[in-house]
Order: sequence, then structure tokens, then C-alpha cells
Amino acid sequence: MTSRRLVRAEMRKLTTTKMPWVFLAVLAAIAGTTAIAVVFGTDADGSKGFISTAEDQRSLMAFAYNGLVIAALFGAIAVAREYAHDTVVPTFLIEPRRRRAVLAQFAALMVGGAVLGFAGTALTMAAVAIALIATDYGFMVSVGDATRLLAASSFAAATGALLGAGLGTFIRNTGGAVAALVVVLLIAPPLAVQLVSDAISWVPGNLALSASGLAGEPGMAAALIAMAAWAAIPAMIGLSAARRRDIV
Amino acid sequence: MKSDPRITSSRGRTYGAQPRRRDGAAAALEIDHVTKRYGDDAAVQDLSFTVQPGRVTGFLGTNGAGKSTTMKILLDLASADEGTATIGGTRYRDLEDPARTVGVVLEPNAFHPGRSGRDHLRILADGGGFPTERVQEMLTLVGLEDAADRRVGAYSMGMRQRLSLAAALLGDPPVLVLDEPGNGLDPQGIRDLRGLLRERAADGDTIFVSSHLLSEVEHLADEVVVLNKGRLVASGSLRELQREETFVRSPSRDHLTEVLGSAGGTVQPFEEDALLVRDLSIDVIGNHAHRAGIELHELSPHPGSLEDLFMGWTDLTDVDGTLGAAKEVVSA
Repeated sequence: MTSRRLVRAEMRKLTTTKMPWVFLAVLAAIAGTTAIAVVFGTDADGSKGFISTAEDQRSLMAFAYNGLVIAALFGAIAVAREYAHDTVVPTFLIEPRRRRAVLAQFAALMVGGAVLGFAGTALTMAAVAIALIATDYGFMVSVGDATRLLAASSFAAATGALLGAGLGTFIRNTGGAVAALVVVLLIAPPLAVQLVSDAISWVPGNLALSASGLAGEPGMAAALIAMAAWAAIPAMIGLSAARRRDIV
Repeated sequence: MKSDPRITSSRGRTYGAQPRRRDGAAAALEIDHVTKRYGDDAAVQDLSFTVQPGRVTGFLGTNGAGKSTTMKILLDLASADEGTATIGGTRYRDLEDPARTVGVVLEPNAFHPGRSGRDHLRILADGGGFPTERVQEMLTLVGLEDAADRRVGAYSMGMRQRLSLAAALLGDPPVLVLDEPGNGLDPQGIRDLRGLLRERAADGDTIFVSSHLLSEVEHLADEVVVLNKGRLVASGSLRELQREETFVRSPSRDHLTEVLGSAGGTVQPFEEDALLVRDLSIDVIGNHAHRAGIELHELSPHPGSLEDLFMGWTDLTDVDGTLGAAKEVVSA
């Protein structure tokens, strides 16, 4: 009961500032850019091969990795701003058992992240479908594949939000949390692949493709578990830090 | 802010003056040998005092004296290196329903500037499980109905302070811990706040208020706890503490200053031919003057202002750089 109340409060926090609308605007802009690419873009040979098959169109609409990165930014900024504005203080006064309070915050952000991931994919699909009207190609992606893209993106974005929230909780500074995200999602994975080539299957970008059904290895279940693990580690670090330190 | 509120929640509970007498529901706050260090610096050192229910206790100290740190330790926002801080014998984190037990205003006020005042309270109501009607009730109580849907970023300091008070009162808690609640309030707001806190204390609530506005505390508090450099320098009934000064008029003021100073008194010149003396009782002062053959024209208890007392308590520290136990003023 207490946890449900806390999650409701955290959800209200997310929906009573402009931040979600800013992120939705970014998603709309990405969808619009994709539509422009569909209408005006060509391959190197001048053809429109990049939209000529169902597989091509699925790749174009696969939003899971974008969703993960965007939701990670959303989670990191949302949490870091809680500390910047000290609004975490009333939260910890209502629920001084900080594990519960922080987990409620993470849960709400995962829901918010999933919504962003879903919305990002849905907007992109809609934009592509509309843009295809202006080309010689129709919308070829099956309902089943579209559903999988939506589900994969929602899941990836939920884990991204958790990852960002964990870093935001640990670092507590918006700039620092965003910088840490850049390192974790954009700099560290290629470095890891350079050190261990087999690691390529387990970096977030490839895991998002696997979850979307666009990469062979690892399988979908393994990809989902691995994505959750990527998020769980910073989340646990953040949770541990929040429980121990002073709020001053 | 409107004093003497009579507000009824959706559960039929009435908040306000007489109807909300609690009869022992409020709890004493116990600070027991608390020490908090930041690196080598002690923000609070071996601090012990009790805040009783049914009284307004003013928490005084210079900037950096450790007041906010003590409150944060009491509220489990900061951990003590040594000692314990409890509310009715229970640590804050172990309270069954903290949001309904303790109302808190802390400096600086914690608001998201882009969120409306109403939404801020709704979030707290959601988290605390309070009826949503309480949000409007508290907005009305603090006089923010008209500004409730504006962004907090556009609020004046006084409006933010009113919103903080609304948040603190949302759960109708029997204990209030307020850090500088009068900051930014206009005179009417301060007057209303004083009325509200006095009413709640009369109902049996525990009211613990830090403030640097000594005149305000003098009007408001029954008890005071005074810190200087992280240590307790005075605590007890304000009225009793104010009686601890003695006014002495004598044509031999300098000689008397010497005599009383060597007897352990703290002596301050007052007017042209008089002294204010602390740390010696009135009969001891008379005896010393008599034995030294000093003529006295007046010897009487002096109801010193809180400001005078406060300056004396904090001056004690500045003179010798330390606060020995003998310098502490603790009234029963």
C-alpha cells in the first residue's frame, strides 16, 4: 500500500513538469526526420533500397536503442533534478526507509521510460507509414513485427530509464549524470568491443537490435536479460548510495 | 495565513483550535549526546536536550551553530556520528507513519520551480496517503488559493514559505519541526504563524522552531534551546532564563565589577552606574557587595531581553574560545 502511494506520487512528479513534453517533442522530431529521410533519402546508387523490403522498413523503424538512450537521459535528468531542487527531501520525509522511496522512484521512471519508448516507436511507425505514401513502396511490416518493435522499444526504454535513474541517484548532478551516461552508453561499449571482440553481442546497441528481432545473437530472452543487467548495476549502486548518505 | 482554522477533512476530522486537542498524542523530541562531524570539524558536539509536547520550543544559534544539522539528524536526513535523536523514543525512520507524525519545514525550501503549488501538495498527499481535500484545505489555510495553480518559480519568498507550511500541516501532525518558518513572511503572516503555532501547542502538540529572529522567538517560545558552535549553551524555560540576570546599581561600579567578576559572575556594564550580572544569584551578589563594603542603590532581578541574553551566551564563547560546562546555562 505504501509502495503504491509512493509510486503514484512519483508518477505525479513526472507528469507535473514540462520535462515529459520536451522529451515527447524530441521523439516527434526524430519521427519527422525519419519521414523526411523516407521521402527524400536514397541509397548511394540513387535507389530507395533502404525501404524496399519489410526487413529494411523494420530496421528503419527499430527504435529500441534510441528509446534506451533517450529514456536514460530522461531518468538521469529527472532524478538529478530531484536532488538539485531538494525535492527528494520531502520524499524521504514521507518515506524515511529510503530503499522503498528510491525503488518507487525507479518504478515510476521505468513506466515513464516505457511510455517514451512506445511513443517513440509509434510516432516513427506513423511517420514512416505516412511518408511511404509519397514513394513507390507500401508499408510492409506485419502486425506481429510491428508489435515486437513496440514491445522491444518499450522494454529497452524502461531499462534505459532505470540505468539513467541509477546514475542520477548516484551522481546527483544533472551535468555529471548526463556525462556518465555518455560514457556508459556511448564510449565504454566500443572500447569494450575493441578489447574483447565477442563483447559486441552484449553492448546495448546490439542487445536492442536482438530484442527487436533484427540481430541473430544473442537470442531475444538473453538480450532482454542482458539489457536489464546493464540497468540493474547502476540502479543498485544508486540505491546503495541513497540509503547511506546524508541529504544536505 | 488564517489563524484559528476550523477545517474538516473528508474523514470528518476537524482541524483547528479546540476540536483538535490530542491528549498525549504528541511526543517529546530527545537529542541524546549527538555528535556530527564533517571531516575534522564538529558541526554538533555532544548535544543533549529534550523538546516537550504542549510547548513551543525556540531553537536558537548563530549561523553555522548546528541548528539545521541537528534537525536533519532528528529527521534522519543526516546520520549522527555519535548519540541518538528520537521522537517519542523512536527514530524517525522507525515511525509507523512519519508523514502523519511530524510536519517539517526545512531551509532551503524544496520545490520544483516549474511545478504549481497545488501539484506540489498533491504529490505529498499522494505519497502520504492524505485525502485530496486536504490540499485545498491547506492552500486556504495559508492563503494561497489564488496562487495555487501558478508555478512555484514565480512565487515570492513569503509565498514559498506559506507553501512549505501548508506541506508541513498536510498530515495534521502532532509534532512540528520548523527551520526558520518566518523567513520571508510579512508581518501579518508572522502574526498568523505565531497564532497557529501557539494554538497547536495549546492543543498538546510539540512545536520545535529554529529562528534567528530573536524578537519573534521571544513572542512565541515557551522554552529555548541555544547552540553556539555546535554545543548547547542554554536551555530551559525562557521566562526562567530571562530572570537569571540581576540588575545592580552602585556608585562604585568598577570596584563591584572586579569583585563580582572574581566571584565567577558574568558582568556587563549597564547605563552609567549599573551592571547586569549573570551566573551569580541575587543573594550571593548582595553578600559579596556587603563583604567588600560596596554601597548598593538597587539590587533586583532583571527580566533581560532574549537578545541581551543571546548576545551574552554567544559572547561567552567568543571571549575564551571554548565553552566549559561552567559556562552553560541550563534552567530546569
